[in-house]
Amino acid sequence: MKRSVAIIQFPGVNCEYETARAASEAGLEARIVRWNSDPQLLRGFDGYILPGGFSYEDRVRAGAIAACDDIVDVIRQEANKGKPVVGICNGAQVLVESGLVPSRDPGSVELALAPNRGMGRLGYYCDWVFVKVSCEPERCVITYDLDPGEILPIPIAHAQGRFTSSIPGLFDKLEDAAQIVLKYCTPDGDVPGGFPEDPNGSEHFAAAICNPEGNVVALMPHPERSAWLRQVPADLKGKWSQRRRELRGKWQELEGKGPGMGVFRSMRAYIEASLS
Amino acid sequence: MIDLGREPEKTRNLLGQLGIALSVDEAYRLRELLGRNPTLTELHIFDTMWSEHCSYRSSRKVLKRYLPMEGSRVILGPGEDAGVVRLGEFEGKRYVLVVAHESHNHPSQILPVEGAATGIGGIVRDVYCMGADVIGVMDALRFGDPFGPMAESVKEIIEGVVNGIWQYSNALGVPNVGGDVFFDSGYDENCLVNVIAIGLAQEDEIIRSRVPDEARIEPYDFIIIGKPTDLSGLGGARLASRILDSEKRESIGAVQLHDPFLKRVLVEAIRKLLAEVRSSGITIGFKDLGAGGISCAVSEMAASGGFGADVDLDSVHVAIGGMEAYAIACSETQERFCLAVPSSFSDEVLKIFNEEFELPHIYRGARASIIGRVRSDPKLTMRYKNDIVVDLPVKLVTEAIECDRQATPRKRQEPETLDSRGIDIREAALGLLSSISICSKHYIFRHYDCEVKGMAVLRPGEADACVVAIPGTPVGIASSVDGNPRISKIDPYLGGALAVVESVSNVACVGAQPLAITDCLNFGNPEDPYVMNDFIEAVRGIGDAARALKAQGCDEALPVVSGNVSFYNESASGKAIPPSPVVACYGVIDDYSVAQSLTFKEPGSEILLLGRGQGGLGGSAFLAWLGKPNSGELPVLDLEGRRRAINTVIQIVRLGHALACHDVSDGGLFISLAEMAIGAWGYGNLGVSVKLDGEAGESILNLLFAENGGFLIECRSKSLPEIERICRSTGTTSLWIGKTIPDSVLEVSWHGGNLVLDLTDVRAAWQGALQEAIK
Repeated sequence: MKRSVAIIQFPGVNCEYETARAASEAGLEARIVRWNSDPQLLRGFDGYILPGGFSYEDRVRAGAIAACDDIVDVIRQEANKGKPVVGICNGAQVLVESGLVPSRDPGSVELALAPNRGMGRLGYYCDWVFVKVSCEPERCVITYDLDPGEILPIPIAHAQGRFTSSIPGLFDKLEDAAQIVLKYCTPDGDVPGGFPEDPNGSEHFAAAICNPEGNVVALMPHPERSAWLRQVPADLKGKWSQRRRELRGKWQELEGKGPGMGVFRSMRAYIEASLS
Repeated sequence: MIDLGREPEKTRNLLGQLGIALSVDEAYRLRELLGRNPTLTELHIFDTMWSEHCSYRSSRKVLKRYLPMEGSRVILGPGEDAGVVRLGEFEGKRYVLVVAHESHNHPSQILPVEGAATGIGGIVRDVYCMGADVIGVMDALRFGDPFGPMAESVKEIIEGVVNGIWQYSNALGVPNVGGDVFFDSGYDENCLVNVIAIGLAQEDEIIRSRVPDEARIEPYDFIIIGKPTDLSGLGGARLASRILDSEKRESIGAVQLHDPFLKRVLVEAIRKLLAEVRSSGITIGFKDLGAGGISCAVSEMAASGGFGADVDLDSVHVAIGGMEAYAIACSETQERFCLAVPSSFSDEVLKIFNEEFELPHIYRGARASIIGRVRSDPKLTMRYKNDIVVDLPVKLVTEAIECDRQATPRKRQEPETLDSRGIDIREAALGLLSSISICSKHYIFRHYDCEVKGMAVLRPGEADACVVAIPGTPVGIASSVDGNPRISKIDPYLGGALAVVESVSNVACVGAQPLAITDCLNFGNPEDPYVMNDFIEAVRGIGDAARALKAQGCDEALPVVSGNVSFYNESASGKAIPPSPVVACYGVIDDYSVAQSLTFKEPGSEILLLGRGQGGLGGSAFLAWLGKPNSGELPVLDLEGRRRAINTVIQIVRLGHALACHDVSDGGLFISLAEMAIGAWGYGNLGVSVKLDGEAGESILNLLFAENGGFLIECRSKSLPEIERICRSTGTTSLWIGKTIPDSVLEVSWHGGNLVLDLTDVRAAWQGALQEAIK
């Protein structure tokens, strides 16, 4: 039986279709569910993805209004049962604003996704960056199908992507508990030397952070935009771009797995493992 | 009724007091047509509909005379909100491209963020209302000189326009698929923001912007969906039809306000609506609300279907109380659409927008409202608070008015002779790389989301054209927008023709077959005979090039399927912009995987220069950098030669021979080589060693920097014979000029000299310059 995920459509999100396409490609049954849908319908899914976009126009702060939506309470209850929840970009901002990540003190908001630093001016920044898997595969829902230390080229597109906190020492604790699961890095996997390898000034170069249980992950880069090899630019550094260059004239292979597909495959593997 | 009186001076004062821009003669003509005095609302309606922006009164005849608009692939040419072109049948589905191209110049000069944002907001509505999904937007930007006397305001406008574009398109979730930017003091007081939206649909999904024939059989309603009507953008079309006053504050109310968030929700609700329309088999009409607001949309939908309309202005959802009838009828409030649906289906429409997608809950005052009915006789009435405020034949509103404008050719300046003594080639090469017209534009487009929707194959800067793939198919859609004011300033005919050549060449570089073009024609005041002549010349150039650039084995002109004319881009001091024809080309590739980035891929590969054109440095970026824009001979326009070269390159790329392909345009051969070495993302590390011979007696400056066309191709040695064969068969010149090398240097040698540049210096000059100039 195919495992199902709900792609939550808050008003203003805009990545729900390609996210659903990527999840389907990974073998999940993906369905887009509107914000005002029946909570009972939502409980029937095996997992949840909060896609990117501008939910509620980023009013107050990115993700802040959606975090108060009734539907998030349902997702919180299902997450507490162990179901996986992945928030991508704006979805990550919702998970942070709702206190679902990092959830060291459940229910309280411990993190923020603050305005980017490094570009030299405020505003939206779009680019391809490299992230490194900084945990063991079983640690969380998005790394199940990835190797520790694996380097993934992946796009970012955000104005507020800097993971930070007013709680002293929080990031050291997150680091110790292996809750920082993806980190920005150089194309060779080293610590970034500065902008643009570190695109936003995130603490500990965090690109994705999970809750202590690992079933809820806030992920700033967009895996659905590097889910197919076709999407990876040919002229970046690293083996993925090299592979893309080698496949000139072979579209069927270019429609194959890209670096971001690992996130969706991981989610499927995680669901299958937890339900078996 | 407004009594217009019989004394012109008094009538002029009256019109002024009412805020009507119609001339006295036009007002009298309206009275004559109506057979009575007009109401205030009627005056406002004609004020908009007879404006240059809406009526194309100065341009219509010229466009009709010179531009090819038909072709076997054209489903819908200019006339409705967007043009529709057949893309092809893939996996059993017949796909069409829906394209729209417009300017938003005047508003962007007054309020850059709002002006540019509503530019994107307006152009995407034109495509959505045809039943298509928007898969990309492009923008052609023309700014003033950031080093000139107006530097301060120029930089402010650049920042605002860029912010407006990303704020709207990123939030709406439509990827940026290209654009270009030029800087010239001619745009100091009038920036240009030209926007393009590209949509994808299946052929049977296309919806017309008119009341359907079915309204003869059953009753139809008009429904307005979206933002509550307010006073924003009142007189926007009129604003775009005159010279900006120096006190631009007066015009601020005519600029619309954007809301991409509401639009995003509307788009989802429309998706649901259209699915239900298709499944229930009914026919609807659907139109964007743009210039002229409700009055324009309703009358055009009714008139083009051969119907009339009764509108009840009390039923329009408004943002504030106490609005006057004319304001409700004519305001250009953004984020609204108009539907004509069977009355039996109206409740379903209201349910989708007001309940399922909760418009009133997520945006104050937004909703769907039934505002009127289709009537079978061709009459337009509007009622407000128990008064009849409009009552006239609907054709009167939509009927084209035309006027003949004087056109006088300018006396062409003889080009100055270029004294090339003392020009250091190395200094020139690095200087040109770091000049604002040539340097990397990443500093601007890094704010634009090019990835959303997940369809990207080649993004802005990666190749000469952007390519997106239709998911699950090998089919790619290529697009490029171009127009070089340096050329059109000297020769508008050549500028128009080369805008077509350049956009088509760019699409060819990725192996795509050009299908159609659109144009946006930006000029000064058409009442000035010189400006009018510039306009006619540019249109003639576009027409000639479009007719000449036929596809291989096809005898059809490249059709112009949509476009827009923007006049009065002129400051109060009388300074007009350079003639600025802007052309976009759209193409299709059966297999996107042959499309390559412009970056050199392998050391030791061969570099070919195909189809090099003739001519001098006139209009080049090099002469602009040198500060001698009026010297030099212009490139020679050989459209037949261009056609052959373009079709040759398409063949070579499609057969998979090109590792990289780039055309020779801005900055000439040297800049094209440098860009291929630097690489699309700036990571390129392969060098190049080339030897240039040129024509007998040709100067090295001409060889390196003339913008006379041609294509650079990187290929493997084993591809050479096949490429030679193709070139011979098409009659295209092919010159082997050198090889890529593993060392990161640019080596160019010629008879009597050479130039060796370290790639690190080349990259540094090219990458940081724009930030320095406009930050």
